[in-house]
Amino acid sequence: MRNICYILLTLAVCWFAAYVAHAQTGGLKIPDQVSAGEGFTIPTSGSGDATFYLVGPGGASKRSIHLGDEIKVAPEETRTAGRYIAVLRLGRENNSKTFFVTPGKPAALNFLARPSRVPAAKQDAISGVAFVFDDYKNLVMAPAPVNFSLSLEQSAPTMRTVPTKDGIAWTQMNSSRSQGAAQFVASLPATDVSVRRVVQQVAADACDLHMRAQNTGKAIVVETDPIRDCSGNAVPDGTIVTFTEIDNHGRSTVDARVKRDIARAELPLSDNATISAATGVVLGNEVHIGIGIGATGGER
Amino acid sequence: MLDQFKNRIILPCARTLWILAASFAPFVLPVLADNNPPGVQLSTSHATPREVEDTTQKAIVRDYSAAWSALTDALINNDASALDSAFTGIAHDQFAARVRDQLKTGLHTQVIDRAHDLEAVFYSPEGSAMELHDTAQVEIQVVDGGTVIHSEETTLHYVVLMTVAEDRWKVRVLQSEK
Repeated sequence: MRNICYILLTLAVCWFAAYVAHAQTGGLKIPDQVSAGEGFTIPTSGSGDATFYLVGPGGASKRSIHLGDEIKVAPEETRTAGRYIAVLRLGRENNSKTFFVTPGKPAALNFLARPSRVPAAKQDAISGVAFVFDDYKNLVMAPAPVNFSLSLEQSAPTMRTVPTKDGIAWTQMNSSRSQGAAQFVASLPATDVSVRRVVQQVAADACDLHMRAQNTGKAIVVETDPIRDCSGNAVPDGTIVTFTEIDNHGRSTVDARVKRDIARAELPLSDNATISAATGVVLGNEVHIGIGIGATGGER
Repeated sequence: MLDQFKNRIILPCARTLWILAASFAPFVLPVLADNNPPGVQLSTSHATPREVEDTTQKAIVRDYSAAWSALTDALINNDASALDSAFTGIAHDQFAARVRDQLKTGLHTQVIDRAHDLEAVFYSPEGSAMELHDTAQVEIQVVDGGTVIHSEETTLHYVVLMTVAEDRWKVRVLQSEK
């Protein structure tokens, strides 16, 4: 009987101690949600020393506090958005509370622009993806407008405003008809935040590849007209044009590079040959060389 | 003689070994269970503007699972280098700062992620970035020295941004939200 009394008494003392400790620390009075970079204070009651812990996604702190004084949580302790755990420890008693830090206002952009090089006059060929962050690099989940602008020197820019969804705004744009370095800019309205990328617009595939051939007596000289894409942009130097000559002896092929808009090559002399030109997926005209008739031919 | 040896030596030894093995089971089995990779279920039906390829789906599940494994290692062992293989950019910097602070204060965090319900919501047109929403079942223990100061089992919601890096997808943002 005496033993049972001792056990019950011990349990009662433990319960009372826990109750007193909890009453001293009280429930942690922390708002469920605070904005990133906002400090706040936590009131405490009771007396004596305790330990306060704050554990968040981007940091952890531990400090001694005096019960009855306010616990000051500094703005730099709540910069990272996410879920935080606050613990007040008194003796063996832990009193914890979780709360969320939400991202602040849009203040920064990450911008992905693709591709870095694109053919002219191509639909939806350029894509831009903007990620909106606050001052503390938290992804801003609330909708925010993002301006996209694609411009080439001496032409009107293409502009578009897209609201973010879950922190992301994206767009697709056509490349312009002219070649050159296009400025692709994403910006946050009413701020000076903007990020610029350069998209090099180059001539697309050749259009209307046309060549002529001349029998010089030593060889057949073939030469294209200036090669341009369908928007009139000259194809870049170095573009390969393949000339093919077919006659009774078989097939001869020469790859020539475009230099100053024109590709030129010499083919073996033949008295009855058909010559064609091609670049990439584009076929040009055919020319026929015969005895004493020079070159004749037409479009293909 | 043989029967005597069997009855006196072999059987008592076998019994002892069996009892020993059985008594260790409660300790061993949870450890084995914890070593199992967490279940990661990925849904890509709402991903826009690009459809997520089969190979990418497999890579995302593999790499996201590896990222949580790296995060739990980093937080329990206070080893920021564990983050390098799976995190990049902002997420890497944030969790590395957390590990540094834990080292300073003597804290450790044990995270056991039981399951992840992942949903891809954005897959960039050129296929280099993906945003996902994760509903994660986790157990968290915050330990100061040898004392557990906080323990909970909870469901958390994360916004995840993964980008292609080197030969895998890495987590660039892992942000829990209400």
